[in-house]
Amino acid sequence: MNKALILAIKGNSLDDGPGIRTVVFFKGCPLNCVWCHNPESKRAVVELSWDQNECIGCLTCTTVCHVNAISKNNTFFINRDTCTLCFQCVEVCPSGAMAGVGKYMDVNGVVNEIIKDKPFFDTSGGGVTLSGGEPTVYMQFASELLKALKKIKIHTLIETGGYFNWDEFEANIAPYCDMVYYDIKLIDDDEHKKYCGVSNVKILQNFKNLVELSQKNTIQLMPRIPLVPEITATKHNIEGIAQFLSECGVNHVQLLRYNPLWPEKCKKIGISPELIDKKLTQWMSAEEYEQCRQVACKNGMQM
Amino acid sequence: MLLYTAQSNSGKGTNLIIISFLKFIAFNFNKRKSLNRYLKTKDGWLNFSIGLKTEDNSLQYGISFFEGKVTVTRAIAHDAKAVMIFKNDEAARRLLLGTPTDIIYMLLKSDVRIDGSVSYANIFSFFISVLFHGIQKRAMKAERNKDDKTVKRQQPKQDKQLSDEIRKRRKERLQGSRDDANVLFLDDPYLSQYSVDDFPRLQLFLDDHLTKKPAVCGERAYLLTQWYRENGFEKDSSGNKWDPIVRNALAYKYMMENRKSIINTDSLLAGTTTSKPIGCPVYPDGSGIMIWNELLTIPYRTYNPFDIDDQTREVLHFDVFPFWLHRNVREWVRDKYNNPLSQQLDERYALYFNWKQATISHTIPNFPKVMAMGTLGMIQEIHEELNKGCGEEKQNCLTAMILCLEGINAYAQNLSKQAMGDSNREQNPQRKQELLTIADICSRIPMHGAQTLHEAVMAVWIIWIALHMESMNAGLSLGRLDQWLQPYFVNDMKNIPLEKRDEYIKFALELIGDFYMRCTDHFPLTPDLANFYFGGSSSDQAITLGGITPDGKDAVCDMTYIFLKVTEMLSVRDPNVNARYMPGVNSDTYLKRLCEVNLITAATPSMHSDAAIIKALTPMGYDINDIRDWSATGCVEPTLSHKHFGHTNMQMMNMVAALEMALNNGYHPLTKLDVGPKTGRVEDGVFTTFDTFFNAFTQQFAFLVDQSIDYNNKLAEAHQLIRPTPLLSAFIEGCLEKGKDVTKGGARYNSSGTAIIGLADVTDSMMAIKKLVYDEKRYSFADIKKAVDSNFAQDVVLLSLVHKKIPLFGSASDEAVAMANRITTWAHDHYSKMPHYRGGTYATGFWSMSNHVAFGTLTGALPSGRLAGKPFTPGLTPQPFASKNLLDNIRDVARLNPENCNNNIAFNVKVVPSAIESRQKTVNDMFSYVKTYFELGGMQMQMNVVTSAVLRDAMAHPENYRNLIVRISGYNAYFVTLNRQMQLELIERAEYGI
Repeated sequence: MNKALILAIKGNSLDDGPGIRTVVFFKGCPLNCVWCHNPESKRAVVELSWDQNECIGCLTCTTVCHVNAISKNNTFFINRDTCTLCFQCVEVCPSGAMAGVGKYMDVNGVVNEIIKDKPFFDTSGGGVTLSGGEPTVYMQFASELLKALKKIKIHTLIETGGYFNWDEFEANIAPYCDMVYYDIKLIDDDEHKKYCGVSNVKILQNFKNLVELSQKNTIQLMPRIPLVPEITATKHNIEGIAQFLSECGVNHVQLLRYNPLWPEKCKKIGISPELIDKKLTQWMSAEEYEQCRQVACKNGMQM
Repeated sequence: MLLYTAQSNSGKGTNLIIISFLKFIAFNFNKRKSLNRYLKTKDGWLNFSIGLKTEDNSLQYGISFFEGKVTVTRAIAHDAKAVMIFKNDEAARRLLLGTPTDIIYMLLKSDVRIDGSVSYANIFSFFISVLFHGIQKRAMKAERNKDDKTVKRQQPKQDKQLSDEIRKRRKERLQGSRDDANVLFLDDPYLSQYSVDDFPRLQLFLDDHLTKKPAVCGERAYLLTQWYRENGFEKDSSGNKWDPIVRNALAYKYMMENRKSIINTDSLLAGTTTSKPIGCPVYPDGSGIMIWNELLTIPYRTYNPFDIDDQTREVLHFDVFPFWLHRNVREWVRDKYNNPLSQQLDERYALYFNWKQATISHTIPNFPKVMAMGTLGMIQEIHEELNKGCGEEKQNCLTAMILCLEGINAYAQNLSKQAMGDSNREQNPQRKQELLTIADICSRIPMHGAQTLHEAVMAVWIIWIALHMESMNAGLSLGRLDQWLQPYFVNDMKNIPLEKRDEYIKFALELIGDFYMRCTDHFPLTPDLANFYFGGSSSDQAITLGGITPDGKDAVCDMTYIFLKVTEMLSVRDPNVNARYMPGVNSDTYLKRLCEVNLITAATPSMHSDAAIIKALTPMGYDINDIRDWSATGCVEPTLSHKHFGHTNMQMMNMVAALEMALNNGYHPLTKLDVGPKTGRVEDGVFTTFDTFFNAFTQQFAFLVDQSIDYNNKLAEAHQLIRPTPLLSAFIEGCLEKGKDVTKGGARYNSSGTAIIGLADVTDSMMAIKKLVYDEKRYSFADIKKAVDSNFAQDVVLLSLVHKKIPLFGSASDEAVAMANRITTWAHDHYSKMPHYRGGTYATGFWSMSNHVAFGTLTGALPSGRLAGKPFTPGLTPQPFASKNLLDNIRDVARLNPENCNNNIAFNVKVVPSAIESRQKTVNDMFSYVKTYFELGGMQMQMNVVTSAVLRDAMAHPENYRNLIVRISGYNAYFVTLNRQMQLELIERAEYGI
């Protein structure tokens, strides 16, 4: 059976769609946003992570590593060049500081983990959210999963960055999806290339297609702008996106508050975070958020 | 004070200090008249001697008080009433030189233990206080200041934003729709238009409640003692043996006729439980004399300080307490059974605590009956039963009931006269009219049946006072007042023209609010020791709302919502509001309202599933209609309303002590008691399979259970002789027909309910042992034992493994749930096969009141990874690190078999509302958790809706949080009145964002 690399399945989410939801995080993403708040979800490979805060310093891991990749002297504890990803250290780690990131699962496996949360979906009007990474990287798998969920009457939502093949999406995802959360990060294509690693042309076109589709069937569409200080949370970008949305005939958007925890997460998987701005280390203030909200409102958007 | 500075580490030095200390006491009491007078009471000289020694006999002294003369001896008298045994020299020095708080901690931690009568040790301690109370007061003050400074240092700046957030919650209120069939008059059942600002009368009461210091009230104790002194206790004035029930009824009637009748300023309800604005009634027949040693210092202690006036102090010391010294239930057991082992174990504080030494009256009286027929109707009914002809026991019992009811009538008449007199003196015309109304109502109520809501509530309040004049104010509960008052509300509304109905609804809110505030007019007289055990607890007067009717229909009605609105507006600790919810019958509108009130008040109501309670109680053989009419009692425990004497808080059982004893071959480490069965030493490798160890645990547990029930039975006998309760019996069905007091099994249904503490801790310990030693074989049992004995000092790896890698209760592990069910099954089956002295069964509950903190302090580290001295989890709540996902907690708790939890559970959840989400969304999220939990089979759940940051701010700046209530386990308390350990326990609970 078709398998996908799953980063995590997290229950009891109150912020990823209506009601109480279980979120399936896929691992792997075609974009490469510098601020990605789930940096461990970017690469579509299994990785090893080490959490300094959880580590009790017992060094049990060093006793089982046969390539001596683990040492306190390494910048991020693990020498990733020598590590063979055998995960022996994860087995013996008493604190859970050493952990494997990503697990190949089949659809049944995912459904079985989710099904126990169904009573909570039913009372709260919640359901399952596919997130990432980018779920459409695993188009066929996501399709099967959504189909299976719809079969047992679970509300489905997909969070996507929009960088996918439209025809495949239309055929495999859209029919089984109740809602789409669609991220539009930067309206200027050069900036998009600079900060997200790819052009936004496909993303914007797919959005237009989705708007058309949502007018024909019951799929609900919610565009979202992740607010990143100095990058996406600028007047011209929000204005630009709002205008684009208006042109598409959409007059609502969700603004996502910036989350500064990602640099710490980078370290866990051995990456030095590239901090572009000091502001990226802080939570967004209520005033900043309000300014962004007003820009969007002024340009005809409802929240 | 030279004595207080002299210190030495040598045994000899200690000897010198102790003897000097004792001689100093003797000298002063012998020479100073002002002190010597304390040695002589109304019953003559207090003659007794006390021994002081260390465990290894390195020191040994006696002090005797005889005919007003105090002497110190080198030897301990053979008939010493109590011997204080110190762990070592140092403990002896600390005890004599310490503050009263130090002494409590030393007792708790077994640095000192008392062999013999705790009451006599208390008198001795009082004498020390007579001599040194000035120093003690200063020391207590210094202790308090130091503590205040410490918390202020940790949190120097108050955070107004935090304290305002709680206050602001009241401002935003949702509207409800009329979705409940029996809501007949409320268009918006959430009554969102009202706030406490609309009720100046209630605000006044609230202010009083939160600012006035309670005072010890000796009235009840004095009047009863006076009567007994004149008419005899064991024998009547002509020398015939009393039937205790008649004797108590006569004394009761005398007290009710002669107690002060007080109409509260501005209240719509007449009468008070004490003669003080907020009073602590004294029950010397129960545990009242426990505060003897604090008579001088009680106003100065840190937790729950009470005022006491000179007159009260004198009456208690010279008259009341000496009379009851051997006539209270506890000392009666000691005298009759020669200080039995079961009592000694209880008095070591760390194994179990039997509530019967204080009270037995955790039950629900028959309010509907007195509302309908009045006390005169009840008397009439008793006469009819008497006329059928009956034996002496029955005749005495029924006569006693009549006497008590007559006592109430006399009291009500006095209240009526008082109200009339007050109205004559009243200048304010509106208040004058109110007093006239009160006078009018009390001239008829509770003698006759009630016609209006005001009359019905007046009847409830006067009967409530009356019951508390008989039984201690601890856990006696109010029952389904919404159900019982609804007919009167409906009747009133029907008789009122449409345009006046809104005004009347407002009146009903004010009246019920007034009733709540009346319920706060008394406070249990807790000895300082009890502040450690039951910190912040009021008298736990539970009210039960909603659910289904005896025939299974939706019971939610107008009065349900009126009570909920009052609960929301007042946010007071007492009454303890419990709401029932029947999946499939009660509306979402109702359950959402419960969640909204919980959110606004931060801690109340506690929510129960009728479906689970029915499942739990059906195997007990009760009638299904009676089960459906259940009410919460004290904390959470089910009682079949007014038909059931279920003493639902018979004991607090420390199940973890059994685990410690199983790990130590029957020896209990803290108390050093080597009393349990010899189940084998872990180090000897005798536990070849997990089951052999589980079996050792159950053997130790059985030993503790059996001992505690032995003590319970002995205390029960004492209650039957010393304090039968004919009035309460008149309010419990069955007693009339059987002609038997409730203490003898007169009620239609009988049982005793336990609170078994530490389920999550024991389950997780068992899981750790099973996984690491037997399944995975990663550790030897002896290694785990070593780690536990050393508080994991050298074993961080093991500690981490247990925290992170062992499937714990609450982590969605089938195996852990099975383990928890195995433990509860064993407990339930063992308790329920014990014979019950009143002819019922023992019910098992898994909640902890506040004792998870107290017992935790007295327990070493556990295989569960809980460190020494840390609290257990509240009730049966999973450990905070069991799972980051609240749903796992909810699912696992819901999977416990309710049949094993027939005295209910307490599942505490701390949720934190998001600052940016709407009220509606927050309520919806809470609703979804609760509803799903109940649909999955969950029994009870209570939420604290407050962040640790708020609690930390409140700890340092209590003045900003006077009425912040929190759920401990089953009951509410004002956070700022809790002891530090309990405050920290609440702060450290797992916190889930919503």
